Amino acid sequence: MHEFSLAGEVIKLAQYEAEKNKARSVSEITIEVGNFSGVEAQAFEGALGILSEGSILENASLNIVRIKGRGICHACDKEFEMTQRMDTCPECHSFPSEIKGGNEFRVVSLLIEQD
Amino acid sequence: MCETCGCGNKDEVKIHDPLHTHHHDDAHVHVHEHDHDHDHDHEQDRGHHHSHDHPHTHDHSHQKVVDLNLDILAGNNMTAAMNRRFFEGRRVLCLNMVSSPGSGKTTILEKTINHLAGSKKLVVIEGDQQTMLDADRIEKAGAQALQINTGSGCHLDAQMIDSALKKLDPEANSFLFIENVGNLVCPAMFDLGEFKRVLVISVTEGEDKPLKYPLMFESSHLCIINKSDLLPHVDFRMDEFIKNAALVNPHLEFITLSAKTGEGMDLWYEWILSQAEIFLSH
Repeated sequence: MHEFSLAGEVIKLAQYEAEKNKARSVSEITIEVGNFSGVEAQAFEGALGILSEGSILENASLNIVRIKGRGICHACDKEFEMTQRMDTCPECHSFPSEIKGGNEFRVVSLLIEQD
Repeated sequence: MCETCGCGNKDEVKIHDPLHTHHHDDAHVHVHEHDHDHDHDHEQDRGHHHSHDHPHTHDHSHQKVVDLNLDILAGNNMTAAMNRRFFEGRRVLCLNMVSSPGSGKTTILEKTINHLAGSKKLVVIEGDQQTMLDADRIEKAGAQALQINTGSGCHLDAQMIDSALKKLDPEANSFLFIENVGNLVCPAMFDLGEFKRVLVISVTEGEDKPLKYPLMFESSHLCIINKSDLLPHVDFRMDEFIKNAALVNPHLEFITLSAKTGEGMDLWYEWILSQAEIFLSH
């Protein structure tokens, strides 16, 4: 899918931040992936592995933190964890009135090596 | 190269313009094994030697955690915001047309150009993996067209639109249609700076599409249900489709039409003009 272009963005971003922080190398990158973000974590990991050769992320390990969305049902005043976008309220089985989170796709942090 | 869908990197992207060709200078794709799975069975053979081949260097360096919390699509979103400002400044109504391949986007656009070309200046950005076929069709229909070939890429991004705009230089008060790459997955994530996103579905597709591709339905404003002339011949349950789509996006509008017979096309033209009014009154 589009995970290749996203991996390319991550490498650009890491390169920029690593230079800014005078990093010799990056040993770990932590990325949050929400389960409704449209990003397939496995495909993204594969794409990053391929594209990172020769880049600042070449030897970095990838730490993916998966974020689950939370549904809010106004009728039941209930907040519940959603594994899929079409999950319904466990009480009344209607679709959530509001969805919090689950769309995250961001670089949380870099673990860098400095001289 | 992504073997699942053939999505590739940007150096394959070509923007076809009589004047010159545009290349991005991203890295080439090389296969590189990157495996950090430590699934050893430590119970059975405690004495054995693990040889990890991680080329980590830990000599005399200091580790530091750099907190970022940066949205990975921030770069695309920023360019999209600049495109949007350009459209607002020049008063160009931009509609991003998305769909599965074969839903009839190009035919809808051809008919739309025939209908509106007398009263409006129309510009089309065509996104396809290969060929100039769609841009040729659009130019024949009477609009200015620019073809972006994404190579093996599966979507258009805001940067490609920015480059295309520099070449197209659309006139003030024109309508710009972006025909995205036929794909219900990837283009959903990439804001191009459009005023509205128009999703085209045809009745030869299943009524469960909204549940299978919720992100695309969620991010669209209008859903055109095309090929209505085929309704008597297919099992498409319109009520079920609209019910599913409304579950994903309660604000989604619907227009049923047939680009082939012209049935319902008036509703689409009216919708475009009503959007132009809303856009220009901002």
